[in-house]
Amino acid sequence: MRASVGDRIVIHGHRIGEPNRDCEVLEMRGHDGAPPYLVRWGDNGHEALFFPGSDAFVEHYEHTT
Amino acid sequence: MRTVEMLHRSGVGVAPSRTIREVAGVMEQAGVGSVAVVDGDRLVGIVTDRDLVRRVLALGLQADARVDFVMTTPVITVGADDSLDVAFGLFATHGLRRLAVMRDDRFVGMLTIDDLLVSVVEQLGSLAKPITAEILFAQRDPAVPVVL
Repeated sequence: MRASVGDRIVIHGHRIGEPNRDCEVLEMRGHDGAPPYLVRWGDNGHEALFFPGSDAFVEHYEHTT
Repeated sequence: MRTVEMLHRSGVGVAPSRTIREVAGVMEQAGVGSVAVVDGDRLVGIVTDRDLVRRVLALGLQADARVDFVMTTPVITVGADDSLDVAFGLFATHGLRRLAVMRDDRFVGMLTIDDLLVSVVEQLGSLAKPITAEILFAQRDPAVPVVL
């Protein structure tokens, strides 16, 4: 998985009826966009390190500088 | 199969200086039952929702305490490229429900006993498939011609 700052990571729900979860990438702690990522859960959520598994995918956004 | 291929769920990590309240919030928002405690690149512990019950609530510990006060350490780990047989052995030997999966001394994810159970059931299912088909859709083998 490769992600950039500002991308959204979506994690599939693991049980029937469990909604997907998502978080925003704040920092890349690996080399060249590799994990782990410092992420924030929800709009004003907690920050944590994220180590993606097969349940997660990245939604890339165009970044303007 | 390698352990890293069985990491169906993403892993979540926190710094040792985070409070128990913050870590509980991370668990809730990330939908996980355990988090790795990571100091820089180094895995230093694991905290589970069960730890929060037994070591915090049951003992009346303040939620503003640091998480490294209640984490489990040292952590039993397995290599990302180790075979599942190694993981089976560690689960059996240590009576664990979770194993930290490491690559180059860095945490990459949490392997749970549930992950292995799912794998075993899938393998049993694929083994049973031809037998099930034989029972449900029985066909007579063509008669072998008799050569006199």
